[in-house]
Amino acid sequence: MSVPHAIIASFPDTPSFYHAAEKVRDAGYKKWDTYSSFPVHGMPQAQGQPRSKVPIFTFCGGITGFALGLSIVWYMNYFDYPLIVGGKPFFSPVFPFPIMYELTILLAAFGTLGGMFLTNLLPQHHNPFFESDTFLEVAGDRLLIAIEARDPKFDVQSTRQFLESIGGTNIEEITV
Amino acid sequence: MNTDAPQVYGKKAGTLALLVGLVFTGFAGFGFYQGWVAGDSRPLMSWLIGIAFWLSIAVGMLFITQIWHVFHARWPTILRRQCEHGFSAFPVLLILFIPLLLVPFLHENPGLLWKWMNGVNELPGHGTVGEDPIYVWKQPYLNINFFTVRAVGVFFTFILLATFLRKWSFDTDKTGDINNTHKARRLSSIGLFLCAGAATMGAIDWFKALEYHWFSTMYGVWFFAASMRAALAILLILSVILVTRGYLKGILKQSHRYDIGCMMLAFTVFWAYISFSQYFLVYNANIPEETFWYNIREKNGWWPISMCLVFGHFLIPFLILLWYKSKIVVWRSVAISAWILTFHIIDLYWNIVPGKIPAENDYGYTVRPFTVEIFDLAAIIGFGGLCIWAFCRSMNKAEPIPVRDPNIENSLNYIE
Amino acid sequence: MASSPNDSPLSPTQAAILSKVEPAELVEQPLVANDRDFNWVTNKICRIVETKTPTWWWVCMAMALLTASFTGMGLAYLVSTGVGVWGLANPINWGWAIVNFVFWIGIGHAGTLISAVLCLLKQGWRTSINRAAEAMTIFAVICAGIFPLFHVGRIWFAWWLFPLPNANAIWPQFRSPLEWDVFAVSTYGTVSVLFWYMGMIPDLGVLRDRAVQRLKLGAYEGSSWLTKRMDIFRKYFYAIFAMGWRNAGNHWRNYEMAYLVLAGLSTPLVLSVHTIVSFDFAVAQLPGWHTTIFPPYFVAGAIFSGFGMVLTLMLPLRAVYGLHDLITQRHIDNMCKICLGTGSIVGYAYIMEFFIAWYGANPYESFAFINRGFGQYSWAYYMMFACNVFTPQLFWFKAVRRNAALVWVMSIFINVGMWFERFVITVTSLANDFLPSSWGYYSPTIVDVFTFFGTFGVFSVLFLMFVRFLPLMPIGEVKYVMPQADPHCHSSHQKGEQH
Repeated sequence: MSVPHAIIASFPDTPSFYHAAEKVRDAGYKKWDTYSSFPVHGMPQAQGQPRSKVPIFTFCGGITGFALGLSIVWYMNYFDYPLIVGGKPFFSPVFPFPIMYELTILLAAFGTLGGMFLTNLLPQHHNPFFESDTFLEVAGDRLLIAIEARDPKFDVQSTRQFLESIGGTNIEEITV
Repeated sequence: MNTDAPQVYGKKAGTLALLVGLVFTGFAGFGFYQGWVAGDSRPLMSWLIGIAFWLSIAVGMLFITQIWHVFHARWPTILRRQCEHGFSAFPVLLILFIPLLLVPFLHENPGLLWKWMNGVNELPGHGTVGEDPIYVWKQPYLNINFFTVRAVGVFFTFILLATFLRKWSFDTDKTGDINNTHKARRLSSIGLFLCAGAATMGAIDWFKALEYHWFSTMYGVWFFAASMRAALAILLILSVILVTRGYLKGILKQSHRYDIGCMMLAFTVFWAYISFSQYFLVYNANIPEETFWYNIREKNGWWPISMCLVFGHFLIPFLILLWYKSKIVVWRSVAISAWILTFHIIDLYWNIVPGKIPAENDYGYTVRPFTVEIFDLAAIIGFGGLCIWAFCRSMNKAEPIPVRDPNIENSLNYIE
Repeated sequence: MASSPNDSPLSPTQAAILSKVEPAELVEQPLVANDRDFNWVTNKICRIVETKTPTWWWVCMAMALLTASFTGMGLAYLVSTGVGVWGLANPINWGWAIVNFVFWIGIGHAGTLISAVLCLLKQGWRTSINRAAEAMTIFAVICAGIFPLFHVGRIWFAWWLFPLPNANAIWPQFRSPLEWDVFAVSTYGTVSVLFWYMGMIPDLGVLRDRAVQRLKLGAYEGSSWLTKRMDIFRKYFYAIFAMGWRNAGNHWRNYEMAYLVLAGLSTPLVLSVHTIVSFDFAVAQLPGWHTTIFPPYFVAGAIFSGFGMVLTLMLPLRAVYGLHDLITQRHIDNMCKICLGTGSIVGYAYIMEFFIAWYGANPYESFAFINRGFGQYSWAYYMMFACNVFTPQLFWFKAVRRNAALVWVMSIFINVGMWFERFVITVTSLANDFLPSSWGYYSPTIVDVFTFFGTFGVFSVLFLMFVRFLPLMPIGEVKYVMPQADPHCHSSHQKGEQH
């Protein structure tokens, strides 16, 4: 059975790839993406994508870490088992600072990695794209634009023509 | 090539700045005179704060220009020219510094501002400076002649580096000679160390030695961090003004402002790192020879100011600058820069003003309280006016941007 | 001349200024030499992992394992006998163990510096060395961790260092810098692994796709039976860790943001780690230890030693794998210059310490520093000063930087010098403190020497495994700094000055 999943088109070099992406964006497609083995400078703008949401996850992780650091020191050395050491107070915001600091960074880093996976909807064990030999060549130097079938404007014929009109070659249909 | 008559920039602003500068400097000078006559050091401190503020900005610009040269930075090429105009403030500041250098030679109490300069000045609980074993030990370094030589040397270093960097950069505008770029890079790699040495020496002599018992190896680094923050904040405000006045309109973009904002964030963290580490080590080791410096900053009205620095100079700008929008929305970035500059002044107050004054109480001393004197403001505004005047004058000596710098196109086309 | 599509309209004045823009020609070495293309880069980096294991690798591995066994023996002896087998004795209760710990952790810092700080500073040249340097970070942290872990003596109670409920119902003591170290070093290790792993995801995807491609082609005629099985193994191994990465623009967008954020987090982290390590010394009252410049000074020293180690590792790898087009003279120049810069900052700190020791007017403090220069350990002090301050000064000269063999030798000097710096700080201050009656002299035992020597083997084993099984360089990032990757560069063969 061959339900179309997407149509892919290749582009010869980075500038034409970049400008083609701008044209896809301007044509009003929504469910589409570019594929390249390296990040292209300015591509998110060319694709009309908003700024990444990853920092929100980082921020939440960081706040959690800071609060955790503060509370464990307070709980352990002030509340649960007060220790007299070096004439210092049982609790103060000064000496536990390294603990709070490190935990802030630790949890913020976990938040960032987790945020990257979540926003990218990874891990994903399979995707129809991987069946295409052309797609696998992205690992080398191929530059692809794929318009997916779930896009409301998707139509096998017209989308294929559109990709041709913006300079795409090796146009290929990927099926599920 | 453009053959029109060269446009005159900032003439009105320069004249206005000169006028304001002269009036307010005159007023600060009046305070200086009063302090001189009455033997009161506080108005002299106003003068020192004014110099410290504008000098820190100029020094920060000198550092940042050299750092950009050393790192072969491309994006800030158009901003570098503004720093080079800023260098013209150094000679002005040297002239303004001379009255302070004259105090030890001409005043009846040479130690009016820096109390170690006069052996008969009284210390709380220690007798006089001349009898103080710590002073006797430090005398080979802390003596008036050597102090003067060092001060001249520090300014000389700054002026020399600034002159050459300016000259080569301005020359590139006309000749397009690539050797200027190479020379500037080479000078900067040595200049950074000279500059670090000079700034450290200045900070130790002028600020730390106000309370000469205290010592900290970190102090020079603190001054570097503070200067960088001030310079970046001024640079951001300046670039926005220059854009709105048409000087850099369409040339300086959001991406440049965004990157200054990022650097502001980085140096906010760095300043906090340096200041906190210094405090933290003194707090933990708990040695009285060191802790007194922080102790006096918890007394006589200084406690809220110390807290003000923790929250106002670090936490608030840090949290705000983390946010992308505050680095790109013009009014927000200007507001945060102004905020940082305000707290930079408070940081300078905090480092300069508190000192032990002998008194008849349980401690044997009181701490000079936190006050904002009218002469402080006069000095800050007045010296600023003169520095801005120097800046505006410099603006007509070269193109608004280094048009023939090898990296100018990278900078013009820069996107985040 | 200079315009970009989203410029606001210019006034005539601005147009006049822009019309004068005529950049002077600046010849810069491209970051990828010899006009290589994307496929060349992919193949070059991937084939290190995909081809047959070279003989030298087996030889080095055998040597590394042998060396590592020394650590194994040293630690086995220590655990079975007690910490007394080390040369620690009153008053010097912190000897080689802490020296080695600080030495190794410092080495790690260059990796984070390259991947994080240089990323924030937009230094494109970092790309080809950053992966290996990050790997170095992680392995160095592992080597560092060995020493404090075994120094606790009863290693089976080491988990008490963490805030976990235990049978004695007591908690760690959070006023202790050693407890801060536990948090700092474990956070550092963890975040470094996260950062390293995240950076590797796209490359693991590339390796996975290449294995799938080869399996689809099925061209295994004439090769040994292992070749195909290795590819099947690779397909699954890399696929698991690549997490389904598809090289999509959307992926890259979030990935780049996450990378930037992690760089932003790692920068204060790397500062904090060596800062906290320096607190181990600086919060004490011991003369020579308690000095406020320790935090930035330790950080600069760490970066200095780390770059020394990066040069030590990368120069041989470059020669063995023929990576001269990816690690160019420009890369080596830059690394040498960073050594020069950080070495000089360390020199600034030495001078500042000396000056303030005198200026502080504390006789103990002054003595500590005079004792360093002229006391019983002055040989170590001169060794440190010569290696750390004077050696890098040779990097001012282009001729020195261009001589790879000489640079390699000097990088070893830097490593040695930085080890001696930690030795000088730790031992001289403890050996001659306040009371002359309690002075002593420290020498390590053979167990100390073996254990430390062996860590170089542990490090090498891990590093060789990394070279063999994981992509040595971030392929995507190397491509990113190539002129062909610039969407605004109209000819795909323009030279490096576009970047």
